[in-house]
Amino acid sequence: MKRDGTTRLHYLMLVPGVGVILFFIATTVIVTVARSFGLFSITGTSAFTLKHWAVIAMKETRDSVLYSLKMGVLASIGTVLVAFPVALFFRKGGSGKRMLGSLIKIPLFVPALVAAFLIVNLISYHGVVNEVLIGLHLIKAPLRMLNDPFGWGVVFIQVWKNLPFVLLILSASLAGIHDDVVDAARNLGAGRWAVALRIYVPLAMSGILVSMILMFIKAFGDFPIYGVAGPIYPPSISYRMHATATIFQQWDQAAVLGVIIIVTALFVVWAYSRLAEFVGGTE
Amino acid sequence: MEALVPLHVRQARRRKGFILLATGFFILVQIVWIGLPILMAVLWSFVSAKHSWSYPDLFPKVLGLDPWRYVFKYTNIKRALVTSYSIAPFAVALSFLLSLPTSYVLGRKNFPGKKFFNIVVLLPIIMPGMVVALSLSRVFQAVRLSQTFVGLVVAHTLMGLPYMIRVLSTSFQTIPQDVIDAAENLGASTFVKIRDIYLPMVLPGLLAGMIFAFTTSIEEFNLTFVIGTPTFETIPTILYSFMGYNFIRTNASVVALVMMVPNIVLLFLVERFLKADYLSASLGKM
Repeated sequence: MKRDGTTRLHYLMLVPGVGVILFFIATTVIVTVARSFGLFSITGTSAFTLKHWAVIAMKETRDSVLYSLKMGVLASIGTVLVAFPVALFFRKGGSGKRMLGSLIKIPLFVPALVAAFLIVNLISYHGVVNEVLIGLHLIKAPLRMLNDPFGWGVVFIQVWKNLPFVLLILSASLAGIHDDVVDAARNLGAGRWAVALRIYVPLAMSGILVSMILMFIKAFGDFPIYGVAGPIYPPSISYRMHATATIFQQWDQAAVLGVIIIVTALFVVWAYSRLAEFVGGTE
Repeated sequence: MEALVPLHVRQARRRKGFILLATGFFILVQIVWIGLPILMAVLWSFVSAKHSWSYPDLFPKVLGLDPWRYVFKYTNIKRALVTSYSIAPFAVALSFLLSLPTSYVLGRKNFPGKKFFNIVVLLPIIMPGMVVALSLSRVFQAVRLSQTFVGLVVAHTLMGLPYMIRVLSTSFQTIPQDVIDAAENLGASTFVKIRDIYLPMVLPGLLAGMIFAFTTSIEEFNLTFVIGTPTFETIPTILYSFMGYNFIRTNASVVALVMMVPNIVLLFLVERFLKADYLSASLGKM
């Protein structure tokens, strides 16, 4: 009986934090889903309809979804690929590494928009990167990296901005690996690469997966970085959703796009948790 | 001669050389990776309005304070600064108050569904910002919170809560039960336990959580953009307005620096508290 009482108390104490989050996010999901079916309409009549879902058949929607998926995948892979060697480098403390450690954390405290702006200065048509490449005779004409049709500029900004964030997560999982395992591998004749690929990568897999998932969702739902450095067409899915709602006043169609974004994000998180179970066993 | 040096000494030397080389290379990359973008922004913010800095010039011909003067005189940046830095403390305080009981329970107690709640806490980070912003804006309109200061504080609190709860609950979790038991055995009252055990042990985590909530609020864009503009402008939304169709690089540089410098100063001030890598400890697991 007493146990029931304390458990109830625990749930009660969850209300201010978890309750608030659950309230707002649940409201978001309910409002978005309902509106996508024509319900809860503030202007006009509310009636169940499937007609707004016609937007998914539009080529523009498909292009936006594909663009955002592409950005999510490339940004998550790119950031982890850059961050992992850096995390390995920082695993063993050493002279000067503390200073470097705080230097590398700077982008974490640089707001995404500022990061976008900083990088835009570098990669613009006559920016430093192009000038240096031309000066070294590596390219003949400046490369178009800003607002390029593929979106490499956006990927680069995402990597720059989120490197320290991923680095923190990876460092934590690398710190959990015992030196004995590494030493044993070395004793048995494993080289630098073999240790990195056969010891560090598998043992840090949970950290790698978490950082990839968080990066994917950040880059997939991105609005401001696309707005600054993205290609002219297609807009990112968040950008299209915002434009559909506020410029064209098609809130119902925007809600459909919102549902697509939510479902994708949730699907990716679900897939991650299955993958994590598969990789890490039961935790 | 070389052959007389034992193998393990030569190996150690070679390894030392490799580490030195790697460190040197790394420092160089770091300077370019972090330093160059910031240097460019600083240079651009001092480009005089009368003498442009364009393609063949390696450095601006004339440096001046023109952009700074212009931005502070003719734009809303002062008001945006005031708005940004007044929302943040409220959002931090509110998210702290809301997360305290929740973090305590999540950190120290066991009950069914705990894993589920731990994931729910992360939802504001997982949910794409623009979706949350657009649907909340409709809800906020219905309860008349749209375009209000309170509405923005609530929105920023929501975005800061995940970091605050996760970091705080991790610090609650790391308090050894032995210490609490010992204090109880020695007759410590609840007040003494809070003052001498919980508070000092949770304090670093609390500071880390506050820093994350603070920076989250300062850089929050999606919700502010949808719920706050045009009545309220924060530094991110003002910067965004400089980056769109009327892109003025010099002015944007000033705003970017104004937005970035306090954050970087904060980073170096609080390095000590981030050492324990609270973010990774709290977000590393889902």
